[in-house]
Amino acid sequence: MKEFLQKLTDDKVGLVGLIGIVLVVILALLAPLIAPYKPDQMFTNHTLEGPSSQFLFGTDEFGRDIFSRIIYGAQVSLQVGLIAVGIGAIGGLIFGLISGYFQGKADQIIMRIMDVFFAFPDILLALTIIAVLGPNLTNTMIAIGIVFMPVFTRLVRSAVMTVKENEYITNAQAIGVKPSLIIIRHITPNIMAPFIVQITLALSGAILTEAALSFLGLGVQPPDPSWGVMLNDARTYMEFAPWTILFPAGAIVITIFVLIYWVIV
Amino acid sequence: MYAYILRRLLMLIPVLFGVSVVIFFTLRIIPGDVAQTILGTDATEEALAQLRKDFGLDRPVLEQYITWMSGVLVGDFGESMRTGREVLPDILSRFKITFELTMLSAILSWIIAIPLGIIAGIKRNTKTDFTVRIISLLGVSIPNFALATVLILVLALTFSYSPPVGYVGFFEDPIKNLQILLLPSIVLGTAMAGAVMRMTRSSILEILRQDFIRTIRAKGAKERLVIFNHALRNAMIPILTIIGMQIGVLLGGTVIIEQIFSLPGLGQLVLTSINQRDFTVIQGAILFIAFVFVLVNLLVDLLYSYLDPRITYK
Amino acid sequence: MFNRKGLLVSVLLLFVLVLAACTNVGGNDDSDSQNEGTEGEEAKETDAEQVLKIANDQEPAGLDPHKTPAHSSVRIYSQVYSGLVSFDENMEVVPDLAKEWNQPNDTTYVFTLREGVQFHNGNEVTAEDVKYSFERILAEETASHIASYFSNVESIEVVGDYEVQFNLSNPDATFLSNLTNASAAIVDQEVIEENGDLQQVAVGTGPFKFEEWVADSRVNLVKNENYFIDGQPKLDEVIYYTMKEESARLSAIRTGEVDLTTLTAQSAELISNEENIEVKDYQSLEYSYVGFNVNAEPLDDPKVRQALSLATNRQAITDIVWSGDAVVSGPVAPSMGDWAIDVESHELYQHDIEKAKSLLEEAGYADGFDITITTASTYADMVDTAQLLQQQWKEIGVNAEINQIEWGEYIDTWSNTSADVLIGRNGSGTDPDRSLNYFFNTEGSANVWGFSDSEFDSLVEEGKVTVDQEQRKEIYNKAQERLLELSPNLFLVSPMKYVAVRDSVVNFTPYPHDGGRHC
Repeated sequence: MKEFLQKLTDDKVGLVGLIGIVLVVILALLAPLIAPYKPDQMFTNHTLEGPSSQFLFGTDEFGRDIFSRIIYGAQVSLQVGLIAVGIGAIGGLIFGLISGYFQGKADQIIMRIMDVFFAFPDILLALTIIAVLGPNLTNTMIAIGIVFMPVFTRLVRSAVMTVKENEYITNAQAIGVKPSLIIIRHITPNIMAPFIVQITLALSGAILTEAALSFLGLGVQPPDPSWGVMLNDARTYMEFAPWTILFPAGAIVITIFVLIYWVIV
Repeated sequence: MYAYILRRLLMLIPVLFGVSVVIFFTLRIIPGDVAQTILGTDATEEALAQLRKDFGLDRPVLEQYITWMSGVLVGDFGESMRTGREVLPDILSRFKITFELTMLSAILSWIIAIPLGIIAGIKRNTKTDFTVRIISLLGVSIPNFALATVLILVLALTFSYSPPVGYVGFFEDPIKNLQILLLPSIVLGTAMAGAVMRMTRSSILEILRQDFIRTIRAKGAKERLVIFNHALRNAMIPILTIIGMQIGVLLGGTVIIEQIFSLPGLGQLVLTSINQRDFTVIQGAILFIAFVFVLVNLLVDLLYSYLDPRITYK
Repeated sequence: MFNRKGLLVSVLLLFVLVLAACTNVGGNDDSDSQNEGTEGEEAKETDAEQVLKIANDQEPAGLDPHKTPAHSSVRIYSQVYSGLVSFDENMEVVPDLAKEWNQPNDTTYVFTLREGVQFHNGNEVTAEDVKYSFERILAEETASHIASYFSNVESIEVVGDYEVQFNLSNPDATFLSNLTNASAAIVDQEVIEENGDLQQVAVGTGPFKFEEWVADSRVNLVKNENYFIDGQPKLDEVIYYTMKEESARLSAIRTGEVDLTTLTAQSAELISNEENIEVKDYQSLEYSYVGFNVNAEPLDDPKVRQALSLATNRQAITDIVWSGDAVVSGPVAPSMGDWAIDVESHELYQHDIEKAKSLLEEAGYADGFDITITTASTYADMVDTAQLLQQQWKEIGVNAEINQIEWGEYIDTWSNTSADVLIGRNGSGTDPDRSLNYFFNTEGSANVWGFSDSEFDSLVEEGKVTVDQEQRKEIYNKAQERLLELSPNLFLVSPMKYVAVRDSVVNFTPYPHDGGRHC
């Protein structure tokens, strides 16, 4: 873990990425202060206007300020990222730890269930879950989270199986330390590096999945602005109002860029 | 080895059983009525009831499941509620298209990604490396539907080009077929290439640091030989993992790209049948996709042991 | 333009009719006014095979005319099958398979068929086929969507080889116009017995023969050399391509990969100046609406519904959702000409916030209320309309949340009235009976709103059996006024439809029914 953080801060590019992430988070949290307008406020006399001093990134077909919508959209992306990846990562961590540490029956059952979810095509799984729960932002996030869970479970499980063979763990087991203690104290910290890498990848995956679901009409509920929804709506207008597609696309690309850049280094 | 393959194939059974249960019962929970979507607003109550009866939807759910499953076990996936066509032949003919699209995208992405990844790995922290990394990041960070629409628009406006309309199979008209599939393959390939590129780069880096490479180098082997004969082979394993995952996912239907490029593939079939609540088709298609996905994973595992004889399966 | 999912909105367009009112927006009045869409089109190159390539946004659902109301199917099977009668461009009933008919009394119709007409498989069309076709429509196990149109038919008798008699249970002013419906097609019993049903095959008597259907890709129709109208059709082949993506259709028409396609208002604007392409538009037969569950508070109070109508700015909906090309509509779409009342000046169509507020106050909702607007994600125009209404209603204190759902669930919500406020689009029919009786009669089969008003019911029931046109019109005017006053739905606007045509195609004029047939 320490090594991992060191690597992160040592690398200038990594640092840039980290700052980028922090910026997106600040943008999202302070959206009401930064955004000049409300995201659903319509200026019906100013539909599809190009960037100007009044509307920094131009307006959409309802005359809504694209700049404000992108800032509020960061909230959506942040939420989707945190909650969806949270569900996937925490679920995956718990199941993976149990599966990898105890093995045997529990492992068999958990892994077969994960296989079932894993074998479902992801967009279609999300589609089905949303169909069951009804389409809104929370359910979309739950759906994406469940889609992510098998990957996390597999990853944690295989990491646990490697760490478990270390001498200090077998020693601890031998002197009768409780399994829960071993898992929390000794195993979990040692599997963090690959786990965190997977979280960053999943964060960018969540943003893209949200965009894909928006294409299929299953993203956030209007008029909430999400980058995916903005991008999808803009396809109709992009030829004569290219700013409608340019800025949301830029927001997605830049965010994913800062999210995963340091992972690759 | 054969015992291993056999065991893996046996493991298919619980997974497919699980998938079939999940999809079957989920479909019966979600709101929506196939009879109403077919007959529309003009239908009388009697007509709706008649249609539901024709589909067996009036019977207990468990009985419906057993009827369906006993058909599936003997290769009879039933008929589409909407079109009356047999489900399995439809799935297979759709799968051919999705399969071709997947393979073309994959090949396109390898041609670009693996060499670039290797170069970036060897020339670590140079301008070349930096450029490759940026390209790879762009590839993975653009939502593919946006890339697809922009590409379609730009090509039509600047080169007055659009792909031929109406899908034709490869064996009917190979040139037209490839023309039709080129654009969608480029779009899908872009996203795949990004991931493959960064995986190639990092695993080459990893391998080049290892002792056995140093030893080989110390022995005075030519650098090119070191890379191609030793490093690459070992670096292939993680690359293969990611490729296997990508192919598995794409074979499950490239829903969005198929829709944008009007390709009659598996993804479109599933999406349409979900919208229409055409239960038999959804069930059959999901089961089939799960089957393919598990098979691809098995294939990847077998390839591992081919590439790295140290990995054996018992 | 509507997809196979668009049952709710397309039902009306099933009527094959040409509206006189539409020729002036067709932009190609010098065409020889063929009443059969495709037959009037021809490609310019005279020597080569004349193939018309059409891009559609939706895949046909099936080809059985008796079982498939989906618009995407109708436009194809209407070219393959014929009915007894059809409409001409003046909305007059004219011969099709029946060369003439008479009405010995109010409840009896006798049709005389053309002799020697063959199905595409060579079988001759006789009175038996007509009897068989309608009995199939009426049979319960067929589960036909148009059985309800002919519920008045008591029996069908074969009088001679080419003479068939329909006995009705009571007079029905809509009977003949119902017969023009493309779904009232004459089919061949032999084909059904061979194939089980007609979803995958199509053997009719129409201008084109069904050749091939590649699912989610294309349908090929070829010329029927033996079509009973001499010199028709002019085209050798028509291919319908399914291209769901608007940008793909736009690009294909620009590059000439297809000859004809439907477009949205936004795309139509983009290519209106391009060489080689002509964009034709026409007023559609449908309108967008806001449906209310009139049994649930607070929408059970007509005053609340009136207040919402006054708070609705229909001009803004026209400008933003339809790029300015739409006209305000009542329960009968304006393209139905004389049947529609003028709603533009109606008091409930004026955007009047003050009045709306005072109505709400009278109803006991001075502070407004919270409500959910349900809409289908499939159609951008419905989602956009919902977003505008949300903003507009805010001004009178009505806080709406939007619930955007997927199509299968939307249909379910519609039929079970499980939403308080539902955005939709209706085809208003070719006959006011359909737009009024069918959607709003207490017993109307599409009245899902729980709306019931005895005054309205007696009006539309009277209209159905009134044969004198002037009298009928008066009755339906009253019925429309009554409906607006009670506002079980808010009727919003009727949009334009757009067809882009390459200059290789001549003599193509879109009418609402053509929209039904091709686009």
